[in-house]
Amino acid sequence: MPANQPLWLKAVHRLERAIGEPVEAAVRTDTYFDAVTKINRVRRKAGGVVEGVSRRVWHTLNLPAGTDVRRMREQLARVERRVTQLSEEVSEVTDDDGRRSRVG
Amino acid sequence: MVPTLNPIDLVARINRDVERSLLRARNGVRYVRGTHRPKVGATPKEVVWRRGKAELWRYRNGTVRYGPPVVIVHSLVSRSYILDLRPGNSLVEYLTAAGLDVFMLDWGVPDELDADNDLERYVDFYIPRALAAARRETGQPEVTLAGYCLGGVMAALYAAAHEDAPVRNLILMATPLDFDEMGAMVALLREGRLNPDELIDDTGNVPADALYSGFYMLAPTTEVAQKATLLEHLWDDEFVEGFQAMAQWARDHVPFPGAAFRQLSELFVRQNVLTTGSMRLGDRRVDLANARGNVLNAMAERDNVVPPAAVEPVMRLVGDPARREELRLPGGHVTFGTGRGARKVTMPRMAEWIIAHSDELAEPEE
Repeated sequence: MPANQPLWLKAVHRLERAIGEPVEAAVRTDTYFDAVTKINRVRRKAGGVVEGVSRRVWHTLNLPAGTDVRRMREQLARVERRVTQLSEEVSEVTDDDGRRSRVG
Repeated sequence: MVPTLNPIDLVARINRDVERSLLRARNGVRYVRGTHRPKVGATPKEVVWRRGKAELWRYRNGTVRYGPPVVIVHSLVSRSYILDLRPGNSLVEYLTAAGLDVFMLDWGVPDELDADNDLERYVDFYIPRALAAARRETGQPEVTLAGYCLGGVMAALYAAAHEDAPVRNLILMATPLDFDEMGAMVALLREGRLNPDELIDDTGNVPADALYSGFYMLAPTTEVAQKATLLEHLWDDEFVEGFQAMAQWARDHVPFPGAAFRQLSELFVRQNVLTTGSMRLGDRRVDLANARGNVLNAMAERDNVVPPAAVEPVMRLVGDPARREELRLPGGHVTFGTGRGARKVTMPRMAEWIIAHSDELAEPEE
């Protein structure tokens, strides 16, 4: 801590350390990590339940649900990855990878 | 004894305080409104190679007097502009000003298309092709390969896995090998806790927010002290600019490709394979001792993201023992890119080591 700091700033830094050190110690304990794991699982499970209910509602109305859109996006991404892979293979053959452009 | 203040000093002090108060008010308004953001990654550069979202940038900042070129492989979790944060506080700018030819292998911002990117994709596909492009650009047969954080792990694996790797020097900056020493950063991924798939979202990647939370929780209250320090220095344009640039980078994480994340969790965190000195990559075993080139293991002594204990095994595992050197630097994880210590110690010592292991070019290149 620089010596020429005003008193109020020194006090804030001391206070921050007084609170911060025990907090940092707490968030490095197994108890904390186990709690975060549990909270994450509960949140996912709750999200899954809500998603299931809303899916049934949308499907009853003959409309696509969020999960359908997600599945569609995943499939599109798979197709796009395959296309990218093929275009890379073509680039390998034609050695077309020396594109230049100024960016900064 | 109470110090006496003569009237001239008193007036000067009042003037200074009034002036600073006005500057504080002006900068405070700018800060709150989010205007006047500093320009980051400002060293002029051009893209010389591109595959998917990966790009190889060549920096142009004066005469190139030394070879081979320096190719920096950035990490997968953060933005590469930390190494070129702002003019006057940039490793890239410093190295180029010292006469080195600097390239950056930047991974961009991964999305659904990158979810399948595994370590093999980076080590066996992107890095060799980017290095070939750097050699083609410069006409140099070799490179100085520098990896930052996880980029260092990939650089070391590449240098060890490829018999024909054209690596004269291998620089590992804050490169973790012993993941048991990574502490809180990886504790959630240990056996019996979170499954990596529980952190991967619909895009197939670990969202940037999850990574930010991981870093934030390392020191959740320091932001208060930082903001107080900012308030005190709010009159100082340069301080405010540096603060904003750093704060922007600290929040600016990128999604982590799912496939590579699964490997990192299983192989690096749960099995801690890198401490054995070898690992399976694709269809072969890679022995880190086979890494080509002179090895510089650069670590920051107060790094709380990749603590020195996680980095130290480099000195007994990577490359030829006779060609390994260690560089201990003051400061934290970002000392490689920014900060007072970076400008005074890190950048000069890095440049010095690289130049000592490079050749002076017969014909300097503009």
